[in-house]
Amino acid sequence: MEGSSDAVIVARVLRGDVEGFRILVERYHDRYARYAFHMLGNREDAEEALQDAFTRAYRSLGRCEDPERFGAWLFRILVNRCRTLGARRGRRAQTFVVDETAILEAAEEHPADRNAWREEIDRALQQLRTEQREAFLLKYVDDMGYDEMSQLTGVGVSALKMRVMRACERLRELLSEVQSA
Amino acid sequence: MSVVRRALIGPLVLILFSQAAAAQDPRLAARLDKPTLGSVRAIVDSARVAGLPTAPLVDKALEGSAKGSDGGNITSAVHQLYLRMGSAKRAIGPTATADEIKSASDALDAGVSARDLARLRSASGKRPLTMPLAVLSDLIGRKVPVATATDLVIQLAKSGLNDPEFALFQRNVRADIDRGADPTVAATTRARGLVLRTGSETKPAE
Amino acid sequence: MHDQRDPIESIARELRRPVQVSVSLDDRIMGEVRQLPHYGRLKLWLRLTTPRTITITPLRVGLAAAALAMFAILGAAHVGNDIWRVATPIATAMFPSIKKPAPNQRVQFVLVAPDAKKVSVVGDFNGWDVAHAGYQAQHRGGGVWSVTAPVPVGHHRYSFVVDDSVWVADPTAPRVIDNDYGMPNSAIVVSEQQK
Repeated sequence: MEGSSDAVIVARVLRGDVEGFRILVERYHDRYARYAFHMLGNREDAEEALQDAFTRAYRSLGRCEDPERFGAWLFRILVNRCRTLGARRGRRAQTFVVDETAILEAAEEHPADRNAWREEIDRALQQLRTEQREAFLLKYVDDMGYDEMSQLTGVGVSALKMRVMRACERLRELLSEVQSA
Repeated sequence: MSVVRRALIGPLVLILFSQAAAAQDPRLAARLDKPTLGSVRAIVDSARVAGLPTAPLVDKALEGSAKGSDGGNITSAVHQLYLRMGSAKRAIGPTATADEIKSASDALDAGVSARDLARLRSASGKRPLTMPLAVLSDLIGRKVPVATATDLVIQLAKSGLNDPEFALFQRNVRADIDRGADPTVAATTRARGLVLRTGSETKPAE
Repeated sequence: MHDQRDPIESIARELRRPVQVSVSLDDRIMGEVRQLPHYGRLKLWLRLTTPRTITITPLRVGLAAAALAMFAILGAAHVGNDIWRVATPIATAMFPSIKKPAPNQRVQFVLVAPDAKKVSVVGDFNGWDVAHAGYQAQHRGGGVWSVTAPVPVGHHRYSFVVDDSVWVADPTAPRVIDNDYGMPNSAIVVSEQQK
C-alpha cells in the first residue's frame, strides 16, 4: 500500500482503514514541516500546525474533491493553519528563537559560517510581513508557479507577484549587510 | 412509526430547517456582494457539517459589512473564526455550548493556547466557561501577559468562583488599571485576594 | 559560501534543506486521528450532510412533493407533537446551537461622549445594524448617552458607534481583541438572572 497513489489510500481510509492514513502522514510531513517551520519560525508551532492540518484533513476527507491531489489539498489546509497560528503567535509577541535542530544540518562548508548565515536567513525571514513570507516560500522554496499559488491562497496573481517582489527586496536589504561582512 | 425513527427523523428536520436558515440568512444577501455571499455561505455550510454553531459566522460577516470591510477581509475573518471555533470545540469538549465555543474562540484569538483552554475546562468542572473566558480575553486586552492572565483565571476557576464573582473581579481589575495600576500587578493582587478567601494560594506565571 | 551578488537563490537553497521534526510527530498525529470517528461508521452521516448537486426534473419534483405530502399526512395521523418532544432534546444535544430562541433581558448601555451628535449600539444581538431603531442611545444631559434594549441570554460582542463613523468599545465592559476588522469590540455575557 506504501506505493499506492493518494487516491487509493484516501479511498481505503474512507472505507474505514484508519491506519492507511499513516502513509499519507509519512508521505507529506517532511515537505510540509519545512514550510510550517519557515512560516512560523519555530519547531513547536510548526508541529502544532502540521498536527492540526493532518487531523483536519482526516475529518474532512470525505469532502476532498480530487483525492489524487490529496497533497495539494492538505497543503491548502496547512497554509491556512499557519496563517492562524502565525497571527496568534504575533500577538503573543514571542521573541524569535532559532531552532537548533533545524540549523544543525549536514554542513557543506565551515559549520560556524553556515550556521551564522542560516541564522541570519531565519531572522530575516521572520521580519517579513506574513503574506510576503508566505508568497516567497511558495515561490522560491516550494517552486510553485503563480497560478498554482493563486489557487492555493485565493490571492490574485498580480498581488502575489508584488508580494514576492517585496519579499525579495526586503530580504536583500536585510541580508546585504551580513553578506558583505 | 417507531420511536427510533421518530428520534432519527426529528433531529434531522430540526437541523435542516434551523441550520440551513443560518446559511440563507437574508441579512447576508442584503449586505454582502455576490462572491462574498457565496464564500460565506460555503463556510457556514462547512460549520454546519462540522457541528459548529453557525450564528457567530453570520454575525462576523455582518460585523465586517457594518465596519466597511471589503469582501476579501470578510471572507477571511469568517473563515478564521470557523477554524478557531473548531479548535475551541476540540479543546473544551464536544458538549460545549455555542456561547462557550464563541467565547473560547475569542480567547484563542487573544493568544490563549488550545491546551490552556482544556486546562480551564478541567479546572471549571461542570460550570459554564463563558464568563471566565470573557474575563480572560479582557485581561489580555488590558495588557496582562497571556500566560499570567491564563494562570490567574484557571486558579480562580479552580477555587470555585461563580459568574458574578468573575464579573466583579474584572470590574475591580479594570478600575485599578484605570487608576494607573500596572495591569499584571492589579490582576495578580485581585486574584490572590479572591483565592485566599477560598483557602487556596495562587501563583502568578511570571 | 553563499552567492555574493544576489542572495535570493542562496537563501532559497538554504531554505530548501529538510527540517527535522520530532520523531514522535507521526505517532501523535495518528493518536489524534484514531480518536476521531472512523469513516466506515460515518458513511450515512456523510451522505446526509455532504452538499451535493441535484437535477430538478418534473418527475423528481412530483416525487418530492408526494413524499412531502406523505410525511405530512403520516405526521398528522401518527406522530403529532411526539416527534418534536423526542427530537428536540436529541438535536439540542447534538447541535448546541439548535435551541428555542433564548429569552431577552433588558440591558442598559451607557457611553459618556460630550461631543457626540448621535450614539448607536451595534452587536451580535441586532445584526450589527447601525440604523436599528431599538438601539439608538438618547442624550441624558452632561454628555451621558444611554439606551436600554433587549439582548438575548448568552455571550455577545458589541460596540458603540458615535456619529455613524467612530467605533468605540464600551469602557465599562470586558474587551474583545479584534484582529479581523481592526476596530474595538466589547463583550457582554447576559444570564437568565440578569436584570
